[in-house]
Amino acid sequence: MTARLVAERSEIAPGETVDLALVFEIRPGWHTYWRNPGDSGDPPRVEWTLPEGVEAGPLSWPRPEVIPVGPLANYGYSERVVHLIALSVPADWPIGEPVRIRADADWLVCEEHCIPESGRFDLTLPTGAGAGARPGPIDPAQAEFFAAARVGLPNGRIEGAALGVAGAGLGLVIPLDELSEEIDGAWFFAGEWGLIEHAAEQPWRLLDGHLRIDLLPGALSDQAAPDGLLVVADALGEVRSYEVAAVRGPLPEEVARDRPIGLPLAFAFALLGGLILNLMPCVFPILAMKALSLVNGLSGQGPEAARERVLHGVAYTTGVLLFFAGLAVLLLALRAGGAAVGWGFQLQYPPFVVFMAYVFFVIGLSLSGAVTLGARLMSLGGARTGSGTAGAFGTGALAALVAAPCTAPFMGAALGYAVTLSWPLALAIMLTLGFGLALPFLLLSLVPQLARLLPKPGAWMETLKQALAFPMFAAAAWLVWVLSVQTGSAGVALVLGGLVLLAFALWLRERTRGLPSVRRRWGLAGTSAALICALYLGVATDRLTAPTLSEGEVSASGLASEPYSPERLAAAIDARRPVFVNMTAAWCITCLVNERVALSASDVARSFTDAGVLYLKGDWTNRDPAITAYLADHGRNGVPLYVFYPADGDPQVLPQILTEDMVLRAIRTSAPGSSGRDG
Amino acid sequence: MKHAFRNTLVVGVVALAATLGFGVAVAAPKIDAPAPDFSVVDTAGETWTLGGLVGKKVILEWTNHDCPFVVKHYASGNMQALQKEATEAGYVWLSVISSASGKQGHVSPAEADDLTDSRGAAPTAVLLDTSGAMGRAYDAKTTPHMYVIDSEGNLVYMGGIDDKPTSNQADIAGASNYVRLAMADLAAGNPVTTPVTRPYGCSVKY
Repeated sequence: MTARLVAERSEIAPGETVDLALVFEIRPGWHTYWRNPGDSGDPPRVEWTLPEGVEAGPLSWPRPEVIPVGPLANYGYSERVVHLIALSVPADWPIGEPVRIRADADWLVCEEHCIPESGRFDLTLPTGAGAGARPGPIDPAQAEFFAAARVGLPNGRIEGAALGVAGAGLGLVIPLDELSEEIDGAWFFAGEWGLIEHAAEQPWRLLDGHLRIDLLPGALSDQAAPDGLLVVADALGEVRSYEVAAVRGPLPEEVARDRPIGLPLAFAFALLGGLILNLMPCVFPILAMKALSLVNGLSGQGPEAARERVLHGVAYTTGVLLFFAGLAVLLLALRAGGAAVGWGFQLQYPPFVVFMAYVFFVIGLSLSGAVTLGARLMSLGGARTGSGTAGAFGTGALAALVAAPCTAPFMGAALGYAVTLSWPLALAIMLTLGFGLALPFLLLSLVPQLARLLPKPGAWMETLKQALAFPMFAAAAWLVWVLSVQTGSAGVALVLGGLVLLAFALWLRERTRGLPSVRRRWGLAGTSAALICALYLGVATDRLTAPTLSEGEVSASGLASEPYSPERLAAAIDARRPVFVNMTAAWCITCLVNERVALSASDVARSFTDAGVLYLKGDWTNRDPAITAYLADHGRNGVPLYVFYPADGDPQVLPQILTEDMVLRAIRTSAPGSSGRDG
Repeated sequence: MKHAFRNTLVVGVVALAATLGFGVAVAAPKIDAPAPDFSVVDTAGETWTLGGLVGKKVILEWTNHDCPFVVKHYASGNMQALQKEATEAGYVWLSVISSASGKQGHVSPAEADDLTDSRGAAPTAVLLDTSGAMGRAYDAKTTPHMYVIDSEGNLVYMGGIDDKPTSNQADIAGASNYVRLAMADLAAGNPVTTPVTRPYGCSVKY
């Protein structure tokens, strides 16, 4: 690497300050270090030799990056770093006499191994002759360079941050006044060694008016200065950094409501999501036929035809919006009623799972061309060739209805956000979603010429339609798996039998449709009977109970667990036995990932055994009021939830994204004989 | 289904974290608590465990002969002097090399013995922690990284060798050697005044 020292101005004036830059050009793969280098390394240092009265300020520290080194992490720089130094010249410096300065710098540069380097830099800065106390012009060659260097410097300083103990970790709570709410990433660089574990993950979330970052305490977390540098990125990828001086103290009471996305973003997502719904295989056929009928049937000229088109568009939009408003009211009513509205809660009800599996299976069959459902759906919506505004209204409502099962992947965040909001805002989000769904058709009705922009129908549509069948089949397969966890093999037998009956019913209907009326009636009867049987099999799954875990059974994670019950928990607490509670569900992927990543390690099993921890597992795959109540006690409406009860002391709620380290740490901090100074 | 959305993110983050080797830092050992046990072979093939050293005071020194911060203390004779002082005072001094196979600082038993001879070093043994298990158990971060364990097996000091975190030999003269201070505190029957400091040096090459 190379190093140099340059001045921003070619001339300086007495009584003024000039910025110097210590520049490191670093070879690819190598790094120099920030003021806190992290787990290893060393920041650069400069010894100045200056004429009397001339003073050099401290090195500036541009925003560093996190450099992972195996299980460790460093804070440092790659490629190029510019440290600025303010050099001040006293007012009584003789005009015309150059200022000669010398800097002896030491720095460490590391790749896998480290090389200490040093350099001596001499600079002679002329003072303006006769020009009086005016600094020389900024050297244009340097101006851009210095401007670029300043971009990396902290954008400001945030006061009023709090650092406090939160469970086994530390919580840093930073007021949002200075930050925008649209934070897409956050990282806290501790200003001193020992405050935090530099390599640990830093889960963050936005709470009312605050950014909260969870940190793992370092070896000197109670002694190191609680300050550092906060780096945040917004949704556009713009990165800003702020000096943070936190005050140690209790953290503000956490409201059990996280806001993963900001309000404007939620509206944007809702609108975009609504637009995307138009492309869903369950909506597109309806929309396409409706659009065709509009363009073909109402393409007349003149104000009368135009008026009817607009009326159609408005009726359709109203239908969609009313449906979404109804959905919102239902959702909010459930919330107000105190029902456990966690997303996925419906999946606890086996007949619902079966029903959804049927729906996806039938949609899949329809898309792959095995059966034709479009016509029937259309007539259901009363949308045969433009039969008036009532028909358009019905089609809108139908489109929204059939879109509902497709909303999940696209709408999840916006809907989840909506549930946490006050009801007018929640309603607004839902309506925005509906408006997004209605928008293309509304536009078509206002400007029929737009229909020309639609892609030309052709063979590609059939191919696309058939390809879209496979995600539907995959979803059905997943639901059958969920059911297998809920009801065991008996439930799987029922649902598979139901699927066969369903396929038979559709095939029969398909074969007998065009036949003379008597045979068609037999066909219809057979179809109906098969359908009813399929539905009956689905409902029958409700009577099945989940395969229960026997006491002390060794689960897949290698940890011996017992099923959760409030009595078992209370008994263990009374007996002063440490308890680890894991609330989970088969349909919760986060739970499964955590169990694989954090709870299956042999270290964890050993530490559980060593500390005599009782491992209680609550399975929320099926409805369980005791678990719902437990979740509510902890301000949650969904799984996962991990709570560790030390033998003595307060229970700790562990993060939803768990690492092996967090579990070990929680157990260890409570282990007998470890009431050490940083416990 | 908020979960569906969030879960996708979670899986992504976990996969990314695993790829980067993030978030796998192990729990740190604690002062005044039993030091983590270990079972590591030395250059002669002998297995050392903490359990086998009951009643002995132990000093652990993480080392990597190529690291400039280690060179500072060996080329000046500072580390060797401290090793002699400690072993004469009854300490078991274990130098630990946690560099993984193929990583910088990894040595064969013969090379490690050569280094001990050529530098005039005086550890009780040099442990070859190639798997890094011992280093991770102690949360050893740098070379050098020093640990002092009392005769009851409790950890009483962890951190840097002294208070001058540089690679410049000239800084040794004016530095306070934390290991020497801890030994003095133990000899006087006092708790260690400064039990935790910042370890400085190169990262351990796990």
